[in-house]
Amino acid sequence: MSEPVTVVIVDDHTIFRSGLKADLDGRVRVVGEAGTVEDAVAVIDQLRPQVVLLDVHLPGGLGGGGREVLTRSSALIPQVRFLALSVSDAAEDVVSVIRAGARGYVTKTASGPEITDAVLRVAEGDAVFSPRLAGFVLDAFGTSAVADDELDRLSARELEVMRLIARGYSYKEVAKELFISVKTVETHVSAVLRKLQLTNRHELSRWAADRRIW
Amino acid sequence: MDTAQIRPPLVRGEDRFVAGVCSGLARHLGVRVDVVRWVMVLASLLGGAGIVFYAWLWIMVPTTAEAARRGARRPASPIAPAVSRPVMPPTAAEPASPAQVRRARRLAGHAREMLLGAVLLLAALGLGSRMLGFDIPLGFIVPLAAILGGAALAWMQLDDSRREQLVRGAGAGRWNGGLRLGAGLALVVAGVALAVSGSQWNVLGLALVASLAVLAGVALVLLPWGLKFWRDLAAERAARVREEERAEIAAHLHDSVLQTLALIQRRAGSEADVTRLARAQERELREWLYRDARKGGGTFTDRLRALAAEVEDAQGHPVDVVCVGDAPLDGDHREPREALLQAAREAMLNAARHGGGPVSVYAEAGAEAIDVFVKDRGPGFDLDEVPSDRLGVRESIVGRMRRHGGEATIVSGTGGTEVRLHLAGVGTEEP
Repeated sequence: MSEPVTVVIVDDHTIFRSGLKADLDGRVRVVGEAGTVEDAVAVIDQLRPQVVLLDVHLPGGLGGGGREVLTRSSALIPQVRFLALSVSDAAEDVVSVIRAGARGYVTKTASGPEITDAVLRVAEGDAVFSPRLAGFVLDAFGTSAVADDELDRLSARELEVMRLIARGYSYKEVAKELFISVKTVETHVSAVLRKLQLTNRHELSRWAADRRIW
Repeated sequence: MDTAQIRPPLVRGEDRFVAGVCSGLARHLGVRVDVVRWVMVLASLLGGAGIVFYAWLWIMVPTTAEAARRGARRPASPIAPAVSRPVMPPTAAEPASPAQVRRARRLAGHAREMLLGAVLLLAALGLGSRMLGFDIPLGFIVPLAAILGGAALAWMQLDDSRREQLVRGAGAGRWNGGLRLGAGLALVVAGVALAVSGSQWNVLGLALVASLAVLAGVALVLLPWGLKFWRDLAAERAARVREEERAEIAAHLHDSVLQTLALIQRRAGSEADVTRLARAQERELREWLYRDARKGGGTFTDRLRALAAEVEDAQGHPVDVVCVGDAPLDGDHREPREALLQAAREAMLNAARHGGGPVSVYAEAGAEAIDVFVKDRGPGFDLDEVPSDRLGVRESIVGRMRRHGGEATIVSGTGGTEVRLHLAGVGTEEP
């Protein structure tokens, strides 16, 4: 906890950027900012921050927004971690940045300390799931469990964890409810994130297409 | 879906031999230009397939500048980038530079050279075959050359006049364009006339051929113009629709967001009021932006969201709703589902009134049951020492659920209170 986590904020609203910068506490240090896809790619490549707070909707580039930043910076992804930030609740937006490699998603209405916590968690390699993202996952994968080793579905435990997160439980509360450690909860959430990123399930695409707008 | 590569839009490139089709195609497909050009040349040898394909792309694919102009007409809505986000090619914002004007002039020169080359080539072919002994009558070659030349002139006019119009306004380009079109028409007509009068034998058949030739020639000349007008008309119509859309958005913003912002400024002192106003406005705006996508309304989750919004407004306390699946509210199961909704409403009211922090609501409408969870972060209470005023609330939750064949559990602790509502057996069996 000695060294603050380095962060780059990517958002096209200057007012929002400065507001967010003021809200984040001393555990993180904002080293750079960008407002367009091109700037973001350049700044991230130059500064190599630990975490990038990435807005889903960005001008510039080929019109791909945050997803484009992710695909163009994908070579850096093990060292640089991305946390998606969005006002949009549209499932398609959120799920597409996650599938492009973001480690989690928080809404812009979250408070400074909440976003700081999420940044720290992402910096440690964990995934950050909001209740809404958990809801999307449950909706996309279906709510019935199958065997653990199947990539296309969620295991019973993962489903339980997702449900509790969707119900508004923190990781700590989930751990207490299921009598497991917080670390185990984080492992389950990371597994779900990986499944969400890797699966090519036809149903997932169709689900996302159906619900382009939430 | 989202794993697919983002491709640049298909526009004709600046780097060109003829019309920039190959370079545009190469950019769009992410292949090297030479490869595309060679493929095109090879395809042309296959019975001219490449030429037809090239011509088709030439007509249908806009140039970079045209695409930019089309993109620029879209309104950039500040509130909803998702709703209208113009997709601009990278070179879009550049104004017409002197270099571009020069390029346009040079291109016009190229066109003339190419035309000349084609005519000379035809003449050479004719003369060559004559020398080799094939007797191709001059009366056949000259009209053919005239028709081809005229058509080429008119076709080039389509592309050139549009480019020049873009570079330096409509003024100067028009004369030139009219002249070229006239020349093209004259050439074609002359060619047809020559073809008719050039020989005397078999007048009946020739008359037929001649009339067909006239029709084909006129169509060939007018086709690009028809296309151009049709495209302009379509663009005009699209622009008008966008303008109307923009006006509607402006009107809506004026009626809702601006009023709320004014209200927020007047109540700046009260944090609770400001938060409540902002949340209500956000919800209303979202509803308006995304309303088209919602089917019908009046399903279980729609009603649940509406009730949550009501509670949020009444109590000034944020209520976050997450729904998975959905269930209809009409039909046999209407009554127990309505009861479940009312119980959920009581639970949300209770949580917003007594709990602290945001209220989380999660609903899952599965195949076997509907579950609703309402969680707050209040101080919690001991179930055995429930005060009498909350007993009524509990009765309207627990009792109501029981009467309709469901069950309600209330779990309370230091971390807050959670009301769990479960309605089994009446899930979603509809197809």
